[in-house]
Amino acid sequence: MLQRFLSQETIRKRALSKVSEGALHEYLSTPLTSKKVQCEELVIVSLDLETTGLDPKRDKILSYGLVEIRHMMIKLETSRHQLISIDEEIPEESAVIHQITDDQAATGIPIEEALPELLERLAGKVMLVHYSAIEQNFINAACKKIYGAPFIIPIIDTLVLARQLFERRNHTIQAGNLRLFNLRPRYNLPNYKAHNALSDALATAELFLAMASEMFPQPSKCQLSRFLSR
Amino acid sequence: MHTKRFHSSESMEIELVEIRDFLAQRPPFDVLPEEQLNQLPKILDIRYLRRGSDFPPPESEQSYIYILRSGAIELLDEEDKLVEKLGEGGVYTTDCQLIDFGRAIRGEATEDTLLYQIPCSHLKVMRQAEPAFDRHFSESIRDRLKQAVRMLQDNGDNSSIAQMTVEISHLLKKAPITADVSSTIREAAQLMSEKNVSSVMLMDGEKLAGMITDRDLRKRCVAAGVSPDEPVTSIMTSDLETIQENTLAFQALMTMTRLHVHHLPVMRNDNVIGMLTATDLARHQTTNSAFLATDVRKAETLQDLANVSERLPDLQFQLANSSATALHVGEAISSITDSLTVRLIELAEEKLGPPPVPYVWMCGGSQARGEQTSHSDQDNALLISDEMKPEHTAYFEALAQQVNDGLNACNFVYCPGDAMASNIKWRQPLSVWKKYFNTWINKPDPMALMLSSIFFDLRPVHGEKELFLELQTEILSKTRGNGIFTAFMASNALQHRPPLGFFRTFVLIHDGAHDDTFDIKHRGIVPITDIARVFALNQGLKPVNTTERLLAAAETSVLSREMGENLVDALEFIASMRINHQAEQIRKGMQPDNYLAPDELSDLERRHLKDAFRVIQDMQETMENRYQGGRFR
Repeated sequence: MLQRFLSQETIRKRALSKVSEGALHEYLSTPLTSKKVQCEELVIVSLDLETTGLDPKRDKILSYGLVEIRHMMIKLETSRHQLISIDEEIPEESAVIHQITDDQAATGIPIEEALPELLERLAGKVMLVHYSAIEQNFINAACKKIYGAPFIIPIIDTLVLARQLFERRNHTIQAGNLRLFNLRPRYNLPNYKAHNALSDALATAELFLAMASEMFPQPSKCQLSRFLSR
Repeated sequence: MHTKRFHSSESMEIELVEIRDFLAQRPPFDVLPEEQLNQLPKILDIRYLRRGSDFPPPESEQSYIYILRSGAIELLDEEDKLVEKLGEGGVYTTDCQLIDFGRAIRGEATEDTLLYQIPCSHLKVMRQAEPAFDRHFSESIRDRLKQAVRMLQDNGDNSSIAQMTVEISHLLKKAPITADVSSTIREAAQLMSEKNVSSVMLMDGEKLAGMITDRDLRKRCVAAGVSPDEPVTSIMTSDLETIQENTLAFQALMTMTRLHVHHLPVMRNDNVIGMLTATDLARHQTTNSAFLATDVRKAETLQDLANVSERLPDLQFQLANSSATALHVGEAISSITDSLTVRLIELAEEKLGPPPVPYVWMCGGSQARGEQTSHSDQDNALLISDEMKPEHTAYFEALAQQVNDGLNACNFVYCPGDAMASNIKWRQPLSVWKKYFNTWINKPDPMALMLSSIFFDLRPVHGEKELFLELQTEILSKTRGNGIFTAFMASNALQHRPPLGFFRTFVLIHDGAHDDTFDIKHRGIVPITDIARVFALNQGLKPVNTTERLLAAAETSVLSREMGENLVDALEFIASMRINHQAEQIRKGMQPDNYLAPDELSDLERRHLKDAFRVIQDMQETMENRYQGGRFR
């Protein structure tokens, strides 16, 4: 673990050397959160992206929603929802899921404008997602395309945590078990009808608080390193 | 700090609509206007408490109001007894309230719980912005109760008035006073003084065009420097709210209250037939009980009296619906019972001849306390001068029997415990009464405790008041500062516990009964009455009425002024609920009772009732502690 973390700091510094200015330079200049930080002291950004599909090379980010957790409390005043405009039509099959129409997307801003603010919000913090492949890969792809350098951040993935909890209890995992909205009822969390980037980010944040309190009944034992997925 | 920028984001509201909608359904947030509601999701913090966690979360830096999004929390007292259970939508405001009950409450999540929290500082902002919201968060339960009582009295119940109260056409005393709309202000004013009225309606032919009142003359003419020679139209109120002649008096009162007016033109279809004033309504209310008392005095036969008492439920109903406080309703009914009793005694004396020796007829229980309702039973006793000879027994027996029978015929049924003057035990000379009380006070036993609610609340109704005063002085001198007696009375006062666990949202503490109804008299009113009696006897206070006892006790060291006022408000609220409940039963032609079903109560009423019950519980716990610690002297 220590090795991996060190290498992530190394990757950050290496990436920083590739960009001399701009939002990603600012972002990469900020040291990553130390894995020894106590949960109580962590600033975690729960993030969700809506995309046109699953392939970061081909598909586009349509919106992001985020909300911060500080002192293991979700601070709704920090919540943010941003639509992103794209220069193509939204595929129908994805519109069914995220319910973002072309008209709505048109009110958004281009990714080139949205990314700096997103990076600013994430700098020096921990990213919380459910199924990290999407968020990490899409932001990474956007950073590489726009700034020519990768996106580095410590990630907590509630899907990975759920899988670990299932495995520790020797529960067989069935299809759908690990989906965000199937995990929530296990922790007595309410059903949210809405499905957008912000409400999903909030749903993920709540799930994380529930899982953390299950894993660490004594908050003092709770440390970032215990959650890191990579 | 770059958070400012994110605050200004406009797109936030839609995504958090779920949280807003959740809050919008629940009191107290349900009264917030849209824009305030929309603010809420932006300032909320969310936290998660695993089952077994402490509540409120101990590590909080500031104070919050908590709302349960899901899960359950139990609040416990020092002895880990369950005080209250919060479920989904439950709101915990204690940390934001300035006045604490002084009861160390700790809480525990009994299920995994998702909590919303709002800083008290923001709560304050919302309260300032929205008066209706503020009402729910008044700094102390005392204020909340006061306001709840006021609302109960203000609102009455629209439906419960139907068919019952008088139609306003019966209240109109004068033909309508009208002037032509083309008159000058002076002409209209002259007409008003000539006819001695406070308002005049202005007619455009057959049509009502407007009206002016004394106040309009004052404010819109004299004070505004408008010449009296100007046309009356320059100061008149047009677009008048009117009422139809068959409107019920109480509805008219509500209309006036709502519109903040004192005058309402009364119409028969489209024609003006009169003007109803607030004074007319007020006169109607008071004359009703005054009429009843007059009829009692004029009654010549038992049948006359029985006929009058038939109207008592009606009086109670009207009073309940006319913004009278529960206190006043109790007083009104009790004073009519007093009149009935006096008239019955007079009729008996006419028949039996004058009494051979002085005596005083005493009432006990709710009549003595001035807290009767129209269906109370009778409690009374005869205190006779020590000059009484054995041969006088027959006279007083006949007198007592006749009065008791008479009261029974007037629907004040015989006391089930036989605490009546017709029982020879309670028809005794002063010396015997003194012995009774000596025994009860010095050797309190269960029997004494049972009788205490009747005979420790005594009041003279008719006859030689000096006799009563002598007995009362004797009683109070023996009970004042009497630790052992007080301890017994206090333990008796703890017999009846408020049903804090009655409602689904808060769980039972003292008994496991989940009845369909609860007895609001024995679970809500009797506990306060008992508490007040303990204080009054312990301090040697003369008042018998519970409210007066509490206020008098609050002037002594035995009861804090704040707690005294809390108890008074709690009593008024609970008694109002009872009176309204009975008014509704009377309206439906049912026999009024004390059994309230939870379905009858609104969310708000439950909350206030819970507050009232908590006041009682706090007081009972304080008494329990003092009594056990022997500090009650």
